[in-house]
Amino acid sequence: MSLSRLALPMAGLAAMAAVAALSGDFQLRFLAEILLIGTAVLSLDLLIGFGGLISLGHAALFGSAAYAAAIAAQHLGASLPVMLGIGIAMGTAVAALMGLVILRAGSLFLLILALLFGQIVWEICFHWREVTGGADGLRGLPPLSLGPWALGDARSLFVLAGLLALGSLGVARSFVASPLGRALIGTREQPIRMQALGYTLFSVRFRALLVAGAMAGAAGSLYPFVNLYVGPQSVHWTLSATMIIMLVIGGVGSLWGAFLGTAVYLALQTYVGAWTDRWQLCVGLLFVLTVLVMPQGLASGFLRLTRKGRTP
Amino acid sequence: MMGYAAIQVLNALSFSALLLLTGLGLSVVLSLMNFVNLAHGSFYLLGSYIAVHWLASGAPWWMAFPVAFLATALAGALLERFPLRAFYARPHLMQVLLTYGLSVIFADLMRWGFGAQILSPELPEMLQGVVFLFDMPFPLYRLFIIGAGFAMALALWLLFDRTMWGAVVRAAVSDRGIVETLGIDTRRLFAAVFMLSAGLGGLSGALGAGMLAAYPGLDEEVLILALITVVVGGLGSFGGTVLSALVVGFALTFSKVWFPEFANLAAFSAMIALLLARPNGLVAPPLRQL
Repeated sequence: MSLSRLALPMAGLAAMAAVAALSGDFQLRFLAEILLIGTAVLSLDLLIGFGGLISLGHAALFGSAAYAAAIAAQHLGASLPVMLGIGIAMGTAVAALMGLVILRAGSLFLLILALLFGQIVWEICFHWREVTGGADGLRGLPPLSLGPWALGDARSLFVLAGLLALGSLGVARSFVASPLGRALIGTREQPIRMQALGYTLFSVRFRALLVAGAMAGAAGSLYPFVNLYVGPQSVHWTLSATMIIMLVIGGVGSLWGAFLGTAVYLALQTYVGAWTDRWQLCVGLLFVLTVLVMPQGLASGFLRLTRKGRTP
Repeated sequence: MMGYAAIQVLNALSFSALLLLTGLGLSVVLSLMNFVNLAHGSFYLLGSYIAVHWLASGAPWWMAFPVAFLATALAGALLERFPLRAFYARPHLMQVLLTYGLSVIFADLMRWGFGAQILSPELPEMLQGVVFLFDMPFPLYRLFIIGAGFAMALALWLLFDRTMWGAVVRAAVSDRGIVETLGIDTRRLFAAVFMLSAGLGGLSGALGAGMLAAYPGLDEEVLILALITVVVGGLGSFGGTVLSALVVGFALTFSKVWFPEFANLAAFSAMIALLLARPNGLVAPPLRQL
């Protein structure tokens, strides 16, 4: 049991080491981006896949943490623990504010309220030029560091992003297995019965949103250092919608599917986008096909292919 | 000052008229079929492009609006057949995902077919120019939008409230099963309502092209505003949608006047406050609790 539990992270670490040793600069930065955005998508999966809460404002958590880290880095220097701390604090704080606003109403209202909330955060980032740089965003950030070591090169960024992704995957797994995670699934499946059992829907969902906010914030805090830039599109609702697309392609409710979906989406964007202008058409077709044919996403499709007969 | 205020009120009214027409299309599908159609913005933008090209073609200008209505209604009918019909009984999440995915496809197809530049229609001579109100110029076309928009809304209200067909639709909203037992094919009814909704989207796009132009990305902007209108108004209530179209139109227009820098911020905050104060919408229809 403990061996199989350790096997997956070990395999992940080994794969990471191999990739880090063999890949070029561009690929490493690209992979780091996949891992960071994938972590944010993973945190969205906690809300959508386990709580049934379709938030169309998730980029607000990720992006505001990215801005907070970038602004702090300009003044304090980019020390890794400080950045992570600020990102997690910002993500959690924004999630708390968001929760107070959006968790009062049912599915469609929640969607609209989350969208409105996210767009308000975007408006602040876009118009508060003195602090956020407005439409230009923030450039010229110092490279990430940890004490005497500089972590600004592509290889260290990739390793950091990989460690964060693995750590988040572990947190997400234990969250889902925890009493809170089980209660969250209960509030999705049987809200009335859960209330009869003494759970307060709001507090279960609110705490889940805080966890998701902290995770998205951690990912957001490293994101600016991949390209040494953060712009308002990292807060915009189209990124929230893109995260949902990534999640669905990968597989709602399957935790590692979040990374798979992010990788597929960003690879389409980068490689098909270089070859034709119609990459959005490809993404849309893939997305609709996934919804129509494989509503559980690519992750469960893989599982079904690899372990025939065994229940996943 | 008086003139300035009057102009802004008219601006808000013309914007509200567009929101009303788009929102009504969305609202009727949402409340009748319990179906969330995030591809509604695509119908709007398609209608805009049809109007722009029709008005440039030299054909009789007034035909642009019925043509946009019919063309988008036809598109809606095809879409309803496959794949939307299969999703009526599915949960909201799947509907949201499917229709959002479709809207991504349509957005890129329209960018492909109509180009990425901003297209403005050549307005017919009759509707060009300005009228002077309190010595302030106001585009004549916007008066036309207000007139046409509210006339269409009135016609819709008559259709839904005063005709037998409307009574059937309303009956199907409250109890589909009973309507079926009366021998009415609700599947065809739903298809017709969906066509009407798509056509309304296209018609409002055709009307709105003279005010907002047509460009990639407009579909999403309009969709969001229409969704807000419907949700703020309260699902399934005609009066609520009218009221909230006015509220949203005025809030967006006047926040641009008062806080030009933070216009959307102010308007969105106001709408969040409204939704928090009245979580069931401005006019909550009487609901049967099961």
